[in-house]
Amino acid sequence: MCNSCGPRLTRQDVLRAALALAVVPLLRRIPVHAAAPAPESIEVSEIAPGVFVHQGRYEMQSPENRGDMANAGFVVGSDAVAVIDTLGSVKVGRELRNAIRAVTNKPIRYVINTHMHPDHVFGNAAFKEDAPAFVANHKLARGLASRADRYLATNKRMLGDDVFAGIEVILPTLAVQDTMSLDLGGRTLLLETQRTAHTDNDLTITDQATGTLFFGDLLFSVHVPTLDGSIVGWLALIDDLKQRNAPRVVPGHGPHAMELPEALEPEQRYLATIAADVRKLIKEGKTLEEATKTAGFEERDAWKLFDDYHVRNVTAAFAELEWE
Amino acid sequence: MTWKSHRASWTIALAALAASLFAVAPVRAEEDVWPTLKQATFGDRAIQAEDGTIILDAPVTAEDASLVPITMRVPAEVKGDLKSLTLIIDKNPNPVVATFSFGPAAGTGGERSISTRVRIDDFSHVRAILETEDDKLHMATKFVQAAGGCAAMQAKDPDKENVDLGKMLVKTFPPALSTAPLFEGQVMLKHPNSNGMQLDIGTGGYIPARFVKEITVKRGNDLVFRMESTFSISTNPNFRFTFGRGGDNELDVAIVDTDGTVFTAKSQPSGS
Repeated sequence: MCNSCGPRLTRQDVLRAALALAVVPLLRRIPVHAAAPAPESIEVSEIAPGVFVHQGRYEMQSPENRGDMANAGFVVGSDAVAVIDTLGSVKVGRELRNAIRAVTNKPIRYVINTHMHPDHVFGNAAFKEDAPAFVANHKLARGLASRADRYLATNKRMLGDDVFAGIEVILPTLAVQDTMSLDLGGRTLLLETQRTAHTDNDLTITDQATGTLFFGDLLFSVHVPTLDGSIVGWLALIDDLKQRNAPRVVPGHGPHAMELPEALEPEQRYLATIAADVRKLIKEGKTLEEATKTAGFEERDAWKLFDDYHVRNVTAAFAELEWE
Repeated sequence: MTWKSHRASWTIALAALAASLFAVAPVRAEEDVWPTLKQATFGDRAIQAEDGTIILDAPVTAEDASLVPITMRVPAEVKGDLKSLTLIIDKNPNPVVATFSFGPAAGTGGERSISTRVRIDDFSHVRAILETEDDKLHMATKFVQAAGGCAAMQAKDPDKENVDLGKMLVKTFPPALSTAPLFEGQVMLKHPNSNGMQLDIGTGGYIPARFVKEITVKRGNDLVFRMESTFSISTNPNFRFTFGRGGDNELDVAIVDTDGTVFTAKSQPSGS
């Protein structure tokens, strides 16, 4: 555990959050089971022995959903627990923590973020009292820090002041350069950084005891994929990920667990359709505006939240592919 | 005046002051910066608003505030040469985004246009002000809902962006009708166009500003336009524009950034 070696950042207020880690009390709160009212917690399913997943809603963040719009999971070893993503607010992050505490009292030693997006990291502060290592792709800190102001402002507006309360940007204290193994006692998690795809800081996690894969937002199901990295990189990575041999995979948005390679096929089709349409329009000399009105619209009925993200996806794809 | 009434009048005055303070705050937040901006940029010159001489296309809601497509069009009915075109985003830290001065190769005889992509920092009015050859000013305005475009780092893969810096593409698009008088051209430069507002995680400071400040586009020896810009142009500056048909319709482009680096490129011969 490393409380004092977080990134040294001085100039931006939001990044003082990283320093807050240094003052987390070392005393662990004693959970009280008897007499206390059942704490609010979110629903989790045990998809494999010791592997639990919460399924988020297919929605944009709102005061009603409290930022509960992505999947989160946790893996219980004989010594410790690892949390994989913390949802979109401290409030719902606490409910995730309560759900963990309903299953086990083992220490929460690792909080892993699969990438930088607020719906996966803004619950991190709910785990400060556990003094865990915050683990992520080594590129997450740069990506999140440079977007922190905008993420905080947008989420304050969308979640409302009550739900937004307590949210802070917590940057990783343990950065994964390439791969890393975390020992939870009797089981090991394998963390692998991936090439730029959904973002430039995606991380996949394999629970080696059960073979369960956590793809984070490299896998979307039902919820339209969102492109914040590279469409070329993502399509290439999907080809690799489809070759993985695993009994089940957990998407960043979608059902609790899915099967490979079928799980990746709708997402692959969506991204390939955008790439083909945009490439054709660029070849015909069409503009970005024209592309945002036509490219990929045949996918509209296949996804939830299409109208919220599709134009942004086409914009990002166009700005990337026009350089080919 | 008795002491009592004196005190009462003070109370009223204080109440009025307090009321005015409360009243002033929201007004200031919604302050219309345009009159000041207009005075600073165009002085006392009259500006005709929304007279159809210039049309501005911008999205009502910017899906990506760091990459907002903007098109300025002069309809075909507007004849004669154009002098200049100024793009302004009221609420950006430096509101005057770009000023284009047109030359003899800018062309006439059809709808003339310039498209680019900009960062928009807050819900803001976006304005295009056209100066026609009779020295008159014409303005089109759109309100765009976008927030945080200036500080938002647009580079999705910053490591790759730095490797490609300086890569430039210049394209020409001949008109569909082979006798039409206007061609289209496009200039693209791989450049961070960083505005000094983006945080550098490595140092904890801000990435030093480095942005494109001047673009000169020529067809042969004739000027199409010269543009001076500030940092509100998006990363990887991209301009698409009409220009007049000439002999070989090749474009020569020179771009200068704030570091003094000059980037040059030529288009392929027309029709390719």
